[in-house]
Amino acid sequence: MATDPAGSLEIRLHGRGGQGGVTCAKILAAVYAGLGRSVQTFGDYAGERSGAPVRAYTRVSDRPIENRNKIYSPDHLIVLDPTLLSDAVVAGLAPGGTLLINSPHAPSELAGRFDAQRLATVDATGIARRHKIGARSVVIVNTTIAGAFVRALDLPLPALEKAYAHLGLSSNFAAAREAYEAVAIREPLVAGAVKPPAVGLAPLPSVLPLVEHVEGPPTGLQTGSWRTQTPRYVENLAPCNAFCPAGNDVVGFVQALATKGETEAAAVLGKTTPLASVCGRVCPAPCMDGCNRAELDGSVNIRGLERWIAGRHPVAVREALRTDQPRRLAVVGAGPAGLSAAYAAAKLGHKVTLFEGERALGGVLRTGIPTYRLPREALDQEVADVVRLGVAVKGGRFLDRAELAGLAKEYDAVVIATGLQKLRGIDGAGAELPGVEQGIRFLHRVNLEGGAKLTGHVVVLGGGNTAMDCARSALREGADRVTVAYRRGRAEMPAIAEEVMQAEEEGVELVFLAAPVGFSGKTRVEAVDLAEVELGPPDDSGRRSPQVSSRVRSLPCDTVLLALGQSADLSLLPAGWELDGGRVFDGDRPLFVFAAGDVATGDGTVTHAIGDGRRVVLRALRALGSDVDEFVRPDRTKAVPATDIRFDHFARSEPGRGRHLPATTRARTFDEVDAGLADGLEAHRCFSCGHCTLCDTCLVYCPEGIVRRADAGYAVDYTMCKGCGICVTECPRKGIEMVAV
Amino acid sequence: MTMELLSANHAAALAATLAARANRTARGFGSGVYPITPQTECIELLCNQEIAKGHVVRVESEHSAMGVCMGFALAGARTFTASSSNGLAYMNENVFAAGFYRLPIVMMAVNRTLGPPWNIWVDHGDTLSLRDAGWIQFYCEDNQEVADTILAAYRLAEDRRVLLPAMVCQDAFILSHTMMMTDLPEQAVVDAFLPPLDLPHRVTDRPITVGGLDSPHETEAHRAQQERAMGAVFAAYGEVQVEFEKAFGRKLADPVVGYRADDADVLIVSMGTIAATVRKVVDEARAKGVRAGSLRVRLFRPFPEAALRKALAGKARIAVIDRNLSPGMGGIVWGEMRGLADAGSIIQDYIAGIGGGDVRQQHVQWILDDLLARSSAGAPKFVEVG
Repeated sequence: MATDPAGSLEIRLHGRGGQGGVTCAKILAAVYAGLGRSVQTFGDYAGERSGAPVRAYTRVSDRPIENRNKIYSPDHLIVLDPTLLSDAVVAGLAPGGTLLINSPHAPSELAGRFDAQRLATVDATGIARRHKIGARSVVIVNTTIAGAFVRALDLPLPALEKAYAHLGLSSNFAAAREAYEAVAIREPLVAGAVKPPAVGLAPLPSVLPLVEHVEGPPTGLQTGSWRTQTPRYVENLAPCNAFCPAGNDVVGFVQALATKGETEAAAVLGKTTPLASVCGRVCPAPCMDGCNRAELDGSVNIRGLERWIAGRHPVAVREALRTDQPRRLAVVGAGPAGLSAAYAAAKLGHKVTLFEGERALGGVLRTGIPTYRLPREALDQEVADVVRLGVAVKGGRFLDRAELAGLAKEYDAVVIATGLQKLRGIDGAGAELPGVEQGIRFLHRVNLEGGAKLTGHVVVLGGGNTAMDCARSALREGADRVTVAYRRGRAEMPAIAEEVMQAEEEGVELVFLAAPVGFSGKTRVEAVDLAEVELGPPDDSGRRSPQVSSRVRSLPCDTVLLALGQSADLSLLPAGWELDGGRVFDGDRPLFVFAAGDVATGDGTVTHAIGDGRRVVLRALRALGSDVDEFVRPDRTKAVPATDIRFDHFARSEPGRGRHLPATTRARTFDEVDAGLADGLEAHRCFSCGHCTLCDTCLVYCPEGIVRRADAGYAVDYTMCKGCGICVTECPRKGIEMVAV
Repeated sequence: MTMELLSANHAAALAATLAARANRTARGFGSGVYPITPQTECIELLCNQEIAKGHVVRVESEHSAMGVCMGFALAGARTFTASSSNGLAYMNENVFAAGFYRLPIVMMAVNRTLGPPWNIWVDHGDTLSLRDAGWIQFYCEDNQEVADTILAAYRLAEDRRVLLPAMVCQDAFILSHTMMMTDLPEQAVVDAFLPPLDLPHRVTDRPITVGGLDSPHETEAHRAQQERAMGAVFAAYGEVQVEFEKAFGRKLADPVVGYRADDADVLIVSMGTIAATVRKVVDEARAKGVRAGSLRVRLFRPFPEAALRKALAGKARIAVIDRNLSPGMGGIVWGEMRGLADAGSIIQDYIAGIGGGDVRQQHVQWILDDLLARSSAGAPKFVEVG
């Protein structure tokens, strides 16, 4: 202004190192250059790093710019960090000049301070954060606030868009546009005189001679005042925890094993499940699907670790708590959901009676899952641990409707956990032929009735875990050949992939895209007719729907086992009772009768059933007025993503694997196929996503050296912390976050 | 030609790249680089350029950076490097060697205060301390001038009459980190302006000795040749100016740049970006009836004695603003110029803007007022601390 001809403009920005003030000034220069003006832009550079107060400047003129001085009397002022606002910062700003502040507050909230200026505010930090602009740890606001400036100066928005394209910043334009639309502008309230900036040859502070000693460190600067964002130690959701249907603290038990030992790890598991030995063998392990280590060198073998822990130390609590208001609960069905419900309530001190149709407890764990996957000693131990908590057992007889109605009167609440009792059959011709039977009945004979010897060629129809159990049990019961025929493709099989792989290793043949349409044979089944299937558009489950063609072939066989799916059997409910959202209603009247596990959800895995059993029994207790916590499944979208893990802090290592019997020997015996992990070292592969391990990375990397160990974690000296975010950037596991000051 | 919003650091890198590519039909391009604030952006950009028959070698020190340049230059390649401040101090031995070898290396130097105590801002003392190294030295005032002078420096340095290395100096941050619209020529135009380098003493398959042992009289002869080569710069530069304007359509500034100087009674002499501020003060002084003028020293080595003597003739009062200090002597520009003024003229030294101080109109006005009030010249005056 003072030095350039009319038509010139001088803009000054105040920000902090890392906020991008210099780039912001460059953006504004590029906008004006695009409008055909002469421009000059520069920053004030100093020795300080992130967080130090920084000024940047832009000159605009109709004529070539010669002035090389800094800007002392700006026409417009932009403040990226409102904590910098002071009289010194605003000094020299022309009356009527625009003062643009990055602030969530409306101009009216700043009344009385800048009444002679044209005041504009925009929450650039909020907008930039929403648009995820910045480094890994800190939000950068420069490209956002430029949009607000363009609006405040009434410049054409396309000129900004063009400048962004030219500078390779197009991805930030959406945020700038949002700021353009969001900026609030207030015209000057009063005509004011410009307060002159401190200029001229003012007396300078005295300088200590070099030949005198300077005592102590060279600066006593409290750099904490530079901070716009603050590091905070936080616990974030680990993906394994987010993915566990049982609600286990997975990262908790793995880290407990890594740092403390089996006893502590078992105690973590026991908070949510009594069935760790079981899950450590048969869980499909969604935790491992979510494990961030998969992105580096393979998921942590969490299932193997769970089994390792449970094999060395029982997980179930030994002593029930006492409660002032013990409730009397009936749990119908002692499968995984029922056992879990009984355990969750009993350990809180409530009186549970467990009703089971079979003579032994365990439900599908005992009747369905073969012993080569789940040895009965492991199951018996964990069932006994549940019962030991004071659970009364009434077994050996299936209840009828009247008895269920009676339980509802006799007990404070009833939890029905009867699983999937209805078996899907087949309508084709010959389905009634001897030799065609339900796989579940076959498994029942194998598991509970001393065996079910077979010979010849056995065809199993289906693609789930029951189909795999049938196929592999059939081999072990003497079948010469076993074929599994599934109407969809391999990718659509609901069975656990590892089970399928093991079945194939043992010699089970798989036939895909083959739907059974009939059976033939004189006195007994001699062949199954399989129609060729084409896959159509996805159905409700998201899997491609099978379209059965008329091309049929006959597969000779001696036995057919049906494993076509199971569903809930609600015929147990008395007339007038309806299950709705997991609770039973008599007409409109809610009863203290709830359903848990597969009968209610049909999720179909042991782990889901365990989680649901606990969730439902806690819900029942809350309905009864007990003060117990709700079990809410965590939001998977909140889990720490792999992109937030610093892989370079971890050495690559192969996942620990179970020790398997050779396929040729194991396929003819019911000995356990997998002996599990040889040791618990696998726990050390855990990243501990979102959970601080006291690894000291933040302490080591802090450029100011102001992170120290304190109590059970760390303390930051906030009088010195500049908010540079390096601790957050370097944290291997997202145990720290930057938050707004 | 394309106009780009560029810092002078980037403008220098791109100009060097154009010169490098222009030698692709000859012995190519080589560069040794080592970073130092505020030069780093320049060599970073250079490292990212695709240069056919070009090598940018990242080395472990400034000393090696110049060593790499000397090796490339002796092999006949066009060469470039950049440094600043204590980096130049560390490079010092090889800076002299390059001068004595008569290698037409072009170096961009960002003028920065020598430390300790550490200071990253502008001060001309770093390159002025190399004024005896046998290098041509230019001091620039704006971004465009930096780019233009680098291109011109190659033509000048590679002239058979000259064959001297050339240093193109620019003020730290005020130029190096300030972005202005800058005009960079097309490669074809640069190709026409810069003929391929044909170094007469380049290494070939015929073994030669480079930098052997000199007897006293040989040294004297070699120094005398160096001096004559420096003397040839003025005529050669005049020709470069003509060729430059023909090629690029704009003028290349003179060794000494006057502003309202011819009819002035009072002259303010400066170097680098301060001249822009001086011109504003001159305009204001003229408006008040003071016949002031500005003189900017752009070429410092060879020292443009004739041009300066002519410009100083008849001036009663001369202020020299030195953005440097030779302790025990005062400002270096003043020290070299003070014998050139008319007898009886007052030629007073002012030390201003060292360590990166922002020399504003108020400062220059204070200098002018002080100069006008004088009855005689005195010891160099420190503008801020007295």
